[in-house]
Amino acid sequence: MSQTAAQRFLQDAAVKSADLVHREIIQRGMDSYDVAHLKGRARIKDWEAARQKCQEIKREAINHLDRYLLQFEEKVIARGGHVFWAANSEEACTYVKNVATRLGVRTVVKSKSMVTEEIHLSPVLEKAGIKVWETDLGEFIVQLRDEPPYHIVTPAMHLNRGQIAKLFREKLDPAIDSDDPVYLMGAARRILRQAFFAAEMGISGANFLVADAGVIAISTNEGNGRLCTSVPRIHVVVTGIEKVIPRLEDLAVLWPVLATSGTGQGITTYGTLIGGPRQPGEVDGAEEFHVVLVDNGRSQLLADAEQREVLHCIRCGACLNICPVFRHVGGHTYGTTYPGPIGSVLTPHLNGIKEFKHLSYASSLCGACTSVCPVKIDLHHHLLQNRRNATEAGATKSSERLIFRAWRWAMLHPRMYALGGWLMRKVLRILYDLGLAGSILDPMRVWNRYRSPVPLPSESFRARWRKGLGAN
Amino acid sequence: MQTNEVQTKKAQTEKAQTENPSRDRILERIRAGLRTVIPEPAAMASGRAISEPVIFEPIVNPLERFQQECVGNLMECALTADSAASARHLSKVLQSLPEGETFVQDDPALRRLIELAAPARAIRWSSQGAPGEASQATVTLAEALIAQTGSILVTAACGGRGASVIAPCHIVYATVAQLVPDLATALSRISQERKLDSNSFACVISGSSRTADIEKILVQGAHGPRRLVVILQTA
Repeated sequence: MSQTAAQRFLQDAAVKSADLVHREIIQRGMDSYDVAHLKGRARIKDWEAARQKCQEIKREAINHLDRYLLQFEEKVIARGGHVFWAANSEEACTYVKNVATRLGVRTVVKSKSMVTEEIHLSPVLEKAGIKVWETDLGEFIVQLRDEPPYHIVTPAMHLNRGQIAKLFREKLDPAIDSDDPVYLMGAARRILRQAFFAAEMGISGANFLVADAGVIAISTNEGNGRLCTSVPRIHVVVTGIEKVIPRLEDLAVLWPVLATSGTGQGITTYGTLIGGPRQPGEVDGAEEFHVVLVDNGRSQLLADAEQREVLHCIRCGACLNICPVFRHVGGHTYGTTYPGPIGSVLTPHLNGIKEFKHLSYASSLCGACTSVCPVKIDLHHHLLQNRRNATEAGATKSSERLIFRAWRWAMLHPRMYALGGWLMRKVLRILYDLGLAGSILDPMRVWNRYRSPVPLPSESFRARWRKGLGAN
Repeated sequence: MQTNEVQTKKAQTEKAQTENPSRDRILERIRAGLRTVIPEPAAMASGRAISEPVIFEPIVNPLERFQQECVGNLMECALTADSAASARHLSKVLQSLPEGETFVQDDPALRRLIELAAPARAIRWSSQGAPGEASQATVTLAEALIAQTGSILVTAACGGRGASVIAPCHIVYATVAQLVPDLATALSRISQERKLDSNSFACVISGSSRTADIEKILVQGAHGPRRLVVILQTA
């Protein structure tokens, strides 16, 4: 029996929120993020002004997207690089695969890139007989588990050291006998070191495309991104068209804000700028440099007056970290490349509102996401707009539409509404008295199943109002 | 000359169009989308302040700030009085490392320094090619030091891309005169001096390589250097 994405979401959410090990790991991870994030914010004198500035930079970039992309492209081509514009996943994957096969690539080292996850690049390369190594430690771990990343910044945050040690023992080396993070990093380093120097091609993402300088900007801590872009003879960048920013100087605020929101660091260890292949007189660097600009539905959002700003996102992960829903159901439950609030907003646009409209309800609309977003995207209102859009597009179930029609009719007929309330109180009281609260017969089952029953009032609100409740 | 350039550019664009049919379609979609005009939020349209708000605390004492940030970034900063003292410090650092190749940016100042500090060590100069996989240390110059974030700024000219990431120890030889207060100054200087026209690579490095991918626990020394040493000469 095939499940819909919405059914899968509900099922996985129920399982994950009851998984105590998972809860403990996420709680601990998020607690240490919270501490670091607040400390990081305190290092910036005027955090609100910083957010405002970042919002302005991204707004300017997105509102002149064509101009800035062309400026970027021209500079890269002038240095001997190649720029390929891909309308969808298939075009992007085919291009990278063709570059790889044309140049006899057998091994690829990848640094972290959510866009390559979005377009499912690795399976395409592997089908062509190419070995793909994820080299970011977290990505390496989830690759060994044959899983997508759990989180867009910390892909393996759902695992504890014991689980990772066990995984390494099973997949890498039976002699691994410690779960010390230093030891585990060392084990991964030894294996990946060989990959870096054997690989013919390095694939990276880009955090920003700097238009005036014509360079990509990558923020990394581990140095794997540096090795992927320094050692192999081919470097391919796969990124979204919305990553462009106008000026190099914009990084003076974007870099610290991205680091603060992502991990709480003042700045990421390596802020790397690359604008092309190795130039005459340079010591090293790739001989071939390709940038793949992926559209894949992004350009559609430009015409959406309410939601164009969703393209401002810099993928810092702050909205995931603060979201009470993410913290309970975890990243994999979303079943999307981008989880959490930004994923719930974006996915219906990229992958279809009919199949993913349920994500708009994976939110209490508390607005925590909006309050932390470093580019001030109005995330929770966009979730609300997506709910409306789904209804207007007729994507809701007919049973749901029927219930709302009945409710509307009752609201317009006070007597019927009062009768309905009276009936509901009676029925529920009988059910409760029979000990059937939370059972399949209980209309309040969704709530009462796991909780003590909602207490029933003895009389209706209208009755209480008449008795003088309204007086004070 | 100029017509040639225009012709080359035109040829490049035409080539891109034939090899990449989606390019124009995407650009067309972008332009069509942008025809939807979105009014600027009122606060931004009217309230654009005459003086930009101060986002970051102004740097009063760049040297002091740089040293503080180095501690936070898990990197070493040694203040030296002259080139003889710098050579002594370099020698001490190199002696603490295992035997093996040291990769050095081929620059007259560094040749003099190595002569004093490590005449007997196996050196590979950047003019001889990229650093070897097993190199133990790298010695380079920097384009600038950034006080605000405790960073060093390198470009391809500083021994190449691999110099600052392949060996487990990266030693940077710099002078106090290279210190700039903040990222904004460093980046606008790169822009003004058109450094990225002549270099395919630049990097702002703020500490040794690290990861926190396992239980958010900080591990110093991931794929890049475990040690980043700045020898900062005051004269």
